Amino acid sequence: MDDTKTGNARGLSRRQLLTTAAGVGAAGIGAQLLGAPFVNRAWAADPIRIGMLWAKTGSIVDQAEYLAQGCQLALEQRGNKILDRPVDLVWLDEPSPQGAQQNAERLISEQGAVALIGGAMSSLALAESAVANKHKVPFIAPNAAADSLTGSACNPYTFRGQPPVSVHTKVLAPYCAGIGKKWYLLTAAYAFGQDIADNFRHYIEANGGEVVGADSVPIGTPDYSSYILKIRAAQPDVVIGGISASDLTTFLKQWKELGMSSKIPFAEIAVGNTDLWGVGAQAAAGLYTLTWYYKNPDNPADEQEMAEQYQKKYNRPAADKTWMGWFGMRSLLSSIEAAGSTESGKLVKALTEWKVRRNGIDVTYRDFDHQMINRLLVAGIKPKITDKWDFFDVKAELPKTPADIEAAYGTEAQSACKMPTI
Amino acid sequence: MLSMILSQAANGLVLGFLYVLIAVGLSIIFGMLGIVNFAHGAFFAIGCYLALTLGDMFGWWGVLLAPIATGAIGMIVEFVLIRRLYDKDPLVSLIITFALALFLEASLRALYGAAPQAYNVPDMLTGFVIFGPVLLTKYRLFVLAVTVLALAAFWLFLNFTPFGRIIRAGSRDGEMVGLLGINLPVVFSFVFGIGCLLAGLAGMLAGPLWTVNPSMAGAAIMPAFVIVVIGGLGSFAGAILSGLLVGLTTAMTIQFAPQWSGAAMYILMAVVLLVRPRGLLGERWERFE
Repeated sequence: MDDTKTGNARGLSRRQLLTTAAGVGAAGIGAQLLGAPFVNRAWAADPIRIGMLWAKTGSIVDQAEYLAQGCQLALEQRGNKILDRPVDLVWLDEPSPQGAQQNAERLISEQGAVALIGGAMSSLALAESAVANKHKVPFIAPNAAADSLTGSACNPYTFRGQPPVSVHTKVLAPYCAGIGKKWYLLTAAYAFGQDIADNFRHYIEANGGEVVGADSVPIGTPDYSSYILKIRAAQPDVVIGGISASDLTTFLKQWKELGMSSKIPFAEIAVGNTDLWGVGAQAAAGLYTLTWYYKNPDNPADEQEMAEQYQKKYNRPAADKTWMGWFGMRSLLSSIEAAGSTESGKLVKALTEWKVRRNGIDVTYRDFDHQMINRLLVAGIKPKITDKWDFFDVKAELPKTPADIEAAYGTEAQSACKMPTI
Repeated sequence: MLSMILSQAANGLVLGFLYVLIAVGLSIIFGMLGIVNFAHGAFFAIGCYLALTLGDMFGWWGVLLAPIATGAIGMIVEFVLIRRLYDKDPLVSLIITFALALFLEASLRALYGAAPQAYNVPDMLTGFVIFGPVLLTKYRLFVLAVTVLALAAFWLFLNFTPFGRIIRAGSRDGEMVGLLGINLPVVFSFVFGIGCLLAGLAGMLAGPLWTVNPSMAGAAIMPAFVIVVIGGLGSFAGAILSGLLVGLTTAMTIQFAPQWSGAAMYILMAVVLLVRPRGLLGERWERFE
């Protein structure tokens, strides 16, 4: 029999061939979507590689998608090149602090990344920051809020975009105290949540109030009803949340389901737009701090343009996380250009000198702790939501004056960061 | 304090019943097919997404179709992939279904995006029911009622229908059932589909309470495995008993020692396995010895 007619030319049946081809195809798609590096490449010759570490799995994945898209958009706005060289953006997962460290090592050692950007959660950013410091590679953390990242655990190679928990607290806590002085703290059992609990407890106790209850919640808790029953019994004036991403979404759905959203105000710092979009118009409630909002009329022209480009490309509004990824990546690309080099020491120096004028203040990374100085938005949920994306009423952009900003972020003398020299 | 404990217990039991619905499907797939199905949580997520999509398209009838559609997808997966694992080492099925879970999650992400989808309690089920000191929401009572009905129907089907007897016999001695002229592969496809249908039903019910995103499977699969292990691998009654125990233990730990709430069910599992290594109602199965 002619093997070629039956598909057995090399001892492989047509069925096996088709099965194998389908399997390889599916595995390729699966690998592309999950584990293998996603490489966004401009053209072939001598590329500059930048490593992205954003979660592809887990509770923060919804925010991570917007963060990654913001980074990609910043690069696309520059024609996918810098210093007349193409740029490869290599994206790996950060499934856990250990996994994040391994992938950060891979990006630096195997992919030759000249800089890293990532850390969707504080615990992940802290893990990646340690690797960046070990390999002396600049690392931008646009989203992590734990105080220690640019405080006690600071290092010369880590730059953070998100204001730390202490700054968010100073902005939101006076609003909460205006509602009442009996607070209940419901915070996640990791660095971000612990910082929120410590900062808000300190604030209210220093201002004549009290914490009537506090619970530390494991990440990925699927049912909050037992916590909500405890809060209901404690009768606080305000509940201060410190749970992030999909955990916050789950909590707010159950908070509404158990009839609490109309009874006790809920407030939380540094939430993502996606957390509330996932709650839905029916159940969304609360008072929050945000870093950015696409409908804020005070957004500068270049940010409005970015939001329009994002809307056009993805057919949905840019989230705050889009802006954070975009702004962080922009600071990195501008710094590479200013340094005229990807050499680590020059790049770190350029990042500390990077500056943009935004709504009347100079936005920079401070030289003594590498914390970006920027304002925050205080926003509440609209009383009636008619657009499935437009949930927030921006109440204020704070801190207002340069003196207020310095007071909120603290001085070098107050900082826990003891930055070693390179 | 007594009213608080009773309310916590009631809410814990509702949570437990939801876990039971997920775990029973996992348990019967293991008990009857010998497959440790790591992708079970993904079918839970698929059920939720289908409820959302079909609900948007066809209203409430569409939502009710979601578990059936999930079961149908499960049967296709069994036909294409799972049946090739029956005679393989259990480790192979574990690895393959783990890969399947990742693939299904990535497929959901490719189709719907990573951002969570808004899926709320229907208006007619909002509000409370108060029994003395116990407060429950109407939706949680609805979840409780649907779960109990589904489990009762499944138990009746397994024990009092000819097809149910074939399934039970096939799980103990498939070769003998095959020799009697029964098409066992079709039976196994059906069993896998039923398991996925139950997971899809749980996903449909959990959607208004949990965050609906492609990663939601993760929140379902670990408690389900713990429940199956505590109850005894393959035991229907064991899964129900242990699901309720896990729900109650979690609720009471949150009340009295919240810092231990994440670990409570694992401690319970460790204690049960120390006392009864086969689980609470686990039996000796010749084919797994």
